[in-house]
Amino acid sequence: MPDKKSAGAAGRKLIIGLPRALLYDRYRVLWKTFFTELGTDLLVSPPTTLETLNRGTAIAIDEMCLSVKIYLGHVEKLVGNCDYILVPRISNFGIRRYMCTTFEGLFDICGNLFRRTGQKFLSYNIDVTHGLDEESAFVSMAAELGFGKKAASKAYKKAKKAEAEDWKNQVKRQEALYKQDGLKVMIAGHSYVENDAYIGKPVTDFLKSAQVTVLRADVMDRKNALKQGSRLSPTMRWEISREIAGGIYENRKRVDGIILLSVFPCGPDAMTNDMIIRRNDGTPILNLMLDGQSGMAGVETRLESFVDILNFHKNT
Amino acid sequence: MAKEDLTNSNKKKIAFPIAARYNYAVKYFVEAGLEQQYIMQPRMTRKTLDIGSQYSPDTVCTPFKTTLGSLIEALECGADTLLMFFGYCRLGYYGELQEQILRDLGYEFDFINMAEYTTGKSRDYLKVVKRMCPKPHVAKATVAGMEMIKMVEYIDEVEELYYQNCGFELTKGAYRKALNQFYNDLDRVASRGDIEAAHQRVKSAFHEIPLKKEEPLRVGLIGEYFTVQDDFSNLELEQKLADMGVEVHRWMNLSHRNLHYSGEKNLNVRIRDLCRYEMGPTSTANIWCARDYAERGFDGIIHVKSAGCTPEIDVMPVLQNIGADYKIPILYLTYDSQASDTGLMTRLEAFYDMLSMRKKVIR
Repeated sequence: MPDKKSAGAAGRKLIIGLPRALLYDRYRVLWKTFFTELGTDLLVSPPTTLETLNRGTAIAIDEMCLSVKIYLGHVEKLVGNCDYILVPRISNFGIRRYMCTTFEGLFDICGNLFRRTGQKFLSYNIDVTHGLDEESAFVSMAAELGFGKKAASKAYKKAKKAEAEDWKNQVKRQEALYKQDGLKVMIAGHSYVENDAYIGKPVTDFLKSAQVTVLRADVMDRKNALKQGSRLSPTMRWEISREIAGGIYENRKRVDGIILLSVFPCGPDAMTNDMIIRRNDGTPILNLMLDGQSGMAGVETRLESFVDILNFHKNT
Repeated sequence: MAKEDLTNSNKKKIAFPIAARYNYAVKYFVEAGLEQQYIMQPRMTRKTLDIGSQYSPDTVCTPFKTTLGSLIEALECGADTLLMFFGYCRLGYYGELQEQILRDLGYEFDFINMAEYTTGKSRDYLKVVKRMCPKPHVAKATVAGMEMIKMVEYIDEVEELYYQNCGFELTKGAYRKALNQFYNDLDRVASRGDIEAAHQRVKSAFHEIPLKKEEPLRVGLIGEYFTVQDDFSNLELEQKLADMGVEVHRWMNLSHRNLHYSGEKNLNVRIRDLCRYEMGPTSTANIWCARDYAERGFDGIIHVKSAGCTPEIDVMPVLQNIGADYKIPILYLTYDSQASDTGLMTRLEAFYDMLSMRKKVIR
């Protein structure tokens, strides 16, 4: 039985589930602030483990990318434990600012894969070329939950502010890292790969244990990142890829090497990484594709030899 | 007679990747509308795919590899200007990467990447035309453009008729002969009159062919835009099915998806319970189409895609639900650069046997 401590449509606080995968890393501050402002409870799935991946793989279509499989594992963990699971639908932020088509379909992918469970999913729809911007998307999502326009708008503005503040701090911390001595390696990949506890974190942990300062390509002023990204490749159509490319273009001379970190088989990365390598002007690049195989030995060997080469390079 | 009329020395030599049979229409527009020379590279072969794969990133979708191979073949046939189309998935980035790959290989050419002209303004089209022909005769180009569209419609109409009927002809090869004649005619059309004549000719030729069609198996094809339409890319899937005696239906073509597309909103009305948003550039159409085939009592559906086609992978959960709801078998085919005739035949034969046994049982 739901306890009736606080007011709400069902007589208690709504619980919104947030899968700790894909865009969670990018929007975590925005989502958390927004829903907390509205007065709902949040349930975040625990960090990725091998089990998350295995569960997700069992649910997913074979050919989906590793990150989507992990995502589905997180969703499964939340199913039945919350009123709604948030799965945004993001098509684009304007012309040549698209997301990978998976983010267009993700809501309906989840809806269809988990149809039998009866779980309710919550979504907001960003499609700027069709006139749907982020704020209006959030407001209509809140309306679906029964919250008024005014409250939603206020919560959104506050969340947006918190998000900007958080990003500014991240950029600041990163700038400090650039000033450090020693070997500096930039990881260029989607944040949901780099920051995933099961697939990405072992890579950064290994580098750190080898006394390497690890930087993230996309952590910089986003507007500037997009601008620089267009200089590297004018028709690059994916928002996140362009931010990464922009980060590489802007900061490539400030690091000793770049690791292109992607998951198998990432659609945008397959093409953009090839372009980045073709247009690279001298910074050593390692193209590392993670395929979710258990055991780090293969990846460690490649990282180790890359770091060795960079050290050799730096000392001569 | 002026000398350059014979040598075409002052004209651009424009080429376009082979894409189903639409090259005839592009050729007509370039030659009749812009008065430039069109270079028609040979139809794609295994070699085209091999060359393309050799220079492409591994996990890119197969159409990238075939179109790259096709562009290389065009350059080797003497083209000096390449025109590349774009789309709303990875296709939107094909042009820039292919140009970079070709330049890195050392080819010299002018590259018109239509993805550079996607600001959403209609003047973009004029800019593309001006790249192909600096001083276009606007009225002439407009008329040729309209006639090109007519050609595309005829190609789609004729191919639809062909694959629905050619499996049931009494004289083996009669349909193919008429279709090949049509393609030959299209290759040589020089005016609206020629286009109409070619269309009339093939329609009446089809009409004359006697058919024996008794409750045939009906299979609907859906899937990724390029692979489902291009007969080389799908290893002549439609012909193989037709040869087994199947009535093959395919909604997906340029006419339906682009020229007369009723829009995501209108198609979504009938599939709203299955998907709330547009999941990718052709997803809504494919889901709508699959449900339409199921509701019309088709015997089976084949979903065609190239390896790594994200939007088509993403609609598969929806298709699986349609299959379960309507009890309609769906065969999922993925084409990569390793796909072979034998592998495909084995799967098609098994699918066909299953469908025909099923038809006997449930009837």
